[in-house]
Amino acid sequence: MAEGKGARPLELLKSTPVRQAVGVVSLMAVISVTTTAIAFLRVRDGLEETIQTSLDQSAASFSTARTAAELRDQVSAEARVADAEQRIIVLLSADGRSVGNAGARLDAGMPVIFAQPEDEQLSEHGYEFRVIADDRGTLILGETRESVNEVSRVFIAQAAFSLVPTLLLSLAAALVIAARSARRVVGIEGTLERLTAGDLKARVAEDPARTDDLARIAGGLDRMAAAQEASVAALKQVSADIAHDLKTPVQRIAVLMAELRNQTGEGSPEAALAERALAEADRAVAVFQSLLQIAQIEGGGPRGRFRPVDLSAVVATFADIYGPAVEDSGHSLAVDLPSGRPVHVRGDKDLLGQVVANLIENALRHTPNGSTIRLTLRQEGTSVVLSVADNGPGIPEAERALVLRRLYRRETSRTTEGNGLGLALVAAIADLHEARLQLSDNAPGLVVSLAFSTVAALPV
Amino acid sequence: MKLLLIEDDKTIADYVLAGLRQEGHVVDHMADGRDALSQAMASAYDVLIVDRMLPGLDGLSLVRALRAAKVMTPAIFLTALGGVDDRIEGLQAGGDDYLVKPFAFGELSARIGALGRRPVQQAEATVLTADDLRMDLIRRTVKRGDVEIDLLPREFALLELLLRRKGRVQTRTMLLESVWDISFDPQTNVVETHISRLRAKVDRPFERELIRTVRGAGYKIDG
Repeated sequence: MAEGKGARPLELLKSTPVRQAVGVVSLMAVISVTTTAIAFLRVRDGLEETIQTSLDQSAASFSTARTAAELRDQVSAEARVADAEQRIIVLLSADGRSVGNAGARLDAGMPVIFAQPEDEQLSEHGYEFRVIADDRGTLILGETRESVNEVSRVFIAQAAFSLVPTLLLSLAAALVIAARSARRVVGIEGTLERLTAGDLKARVAEDPARTDDLARIAGGLDRMAAAQEASVAALKQVSADIAHDLKTPVQRIAVLMAELRNQTGEGSPEAALAERALAEADRAVAVFQSLLQIAQIEGGGPRGRFRPVDLSAVVATFADIYGPAVEDSGHSLAVDLPSGRPVHVRGDKDLLGQVVANLIENALRHTPNGSTIRLTLRQEGTSVVLSVADNGPGIPEAERALVLRRLYRRETSRTTEGNGLGLALVAAIADLHEARLQLSDNAPGLVVSLAFSTVAALPV
Repeated sequence: MKLLLIEDDKTIADYVLAGLRQEGHVVDHMADGRDALSQAMASAYDVLIVDRMLPGLDGLSLVRALRAAKVMTPAIFLTALGGVDDRIEGLQAGGDDYLVKPFAFGELSARIGALGRRPVQQAEATVLTADDLRMDLIRRTVKRGDVEIDLLPREFALLELLLRRKGRVQTRTMLLESVWDISFDPQTNVVETHISRLRAKVDRPFERELIRTVRGAGYKIDG
């Protein structure tokens, strides 16, 4: 498992496995609580019913006494053997006397009982009462609610000592397992990020003993990364082989031409021919070099070298390098930079410099004398826009996408210098830097602009 | 200087050997990487010229092995590869400079010159001179004889570099690397225009020309 990136608790809550675990445990809790509650209610109802039945039976047993005296005798006989803690039997006679195993009175029709004699033990759970008032007196029967209270206590205890710990334990276990999955997901994410950033050696490298879905995804990602690395390596090897096989003969031609030039003596027509042949060999190499460079950039390799680069300094450097050359060619160069403030983007300084150089060269080559080339760097929110504008003939809208292609040359510029790779290289470098490249009308002329996202400071 | 050329292509090797010997260097030549490694360990050289693609042992591994064995002889790579990655790889392996094929002999010769005499840079000098020219690095002034010459900062930097490396040829790419810190050669000849601006101030109004063009190589101020 890739442990590079630790998962923060708050981020863990956002991960799918953790959220699913919490969901499942919550559902389990709701089901458990509901079934326990239903069971409790049913048991309690049964007990209540038993109490009522028992009251019904006692009431029925006293209905046989016909007179107040008979009833009093029956009550005092029954009360003598009944445990007041379980059962209350009291008869209030019309003359105010009472018999039974407890003291009682009626308060707004509701019976209130008290211990009589005083050391009598009454149930602490309270009683369910039945009051039968007729000409024989007021008979108060009570059944203890102990069984009902006891069952509530048992259910509450069960919830406290069994259900809650079970749920907490399951939640903890689920979270641990889910967090482990989430960490594996973070590992896979991190690997993907490193791969996109150009680190072709990045792998998830899960334990091969694992065979679950995450392990399969991780395995698939690793195989894909290995294939990509292999193809980039193959491209590199092929490029190297072609470079060697092509450039060695070109170098030999250059060597032979130089010898020819030295032997024929300076200023002779033969020496001039040798010079021209050398220049052509150089052009062939320049085209090849540019194609090779575009291929390397499109492979994404240079991303591994990205650092914060002060784009403002890069533009200033190239404005300085090209200044005299631009003036000598009859053009003028205007530079518009954010005043004295560095503008950092993540990238490769050499490649960004090449963008500026190629755009200046492009403008120089395709605009007539007297044209102005304007380099601008402008902050727009969190992005910075580099633009190179000229007031030359411009490029018709239909052709703007085409000029970014490799080796494309406009009909009107066939005769000018250049190899049709300058803008293609700019496009490849823009792509590598995730910069938005746009060609637009400067009315008249062409504006090429690249929008980069800026980085806050220079951490290095 | 005593040089070791490690290059397997015979045409190129012969040409480079002839050129370097003509300039008065003593040059040994090896075509195989492994042989070259033992040769470079056994004898003392001033500069090694190493092709990156060699039979036996490739140039990168050769220089890496030498550096591991504490042989710090300056090495310049010759390579068919010209990517930024390749250049960085070369420098990381312990190479001191890097030249992409096809190269002009003048460029190679100038770079060998720069490498071989690296230690003798008078960084502490505050006044640089050549003939009747005096550059005061503290007061940032340049004079020829009694005439004060007003230079732009960039022209001053360019002249300072040529003076510091007096007697040695500086090629266009070397000047781009040292003065502007960029490692590629633009198509437009930008260095030439900078030099011609500098010459217009430093040379043209005077009798003797100080900044010389070396054909097929670069520029130098004679020592």
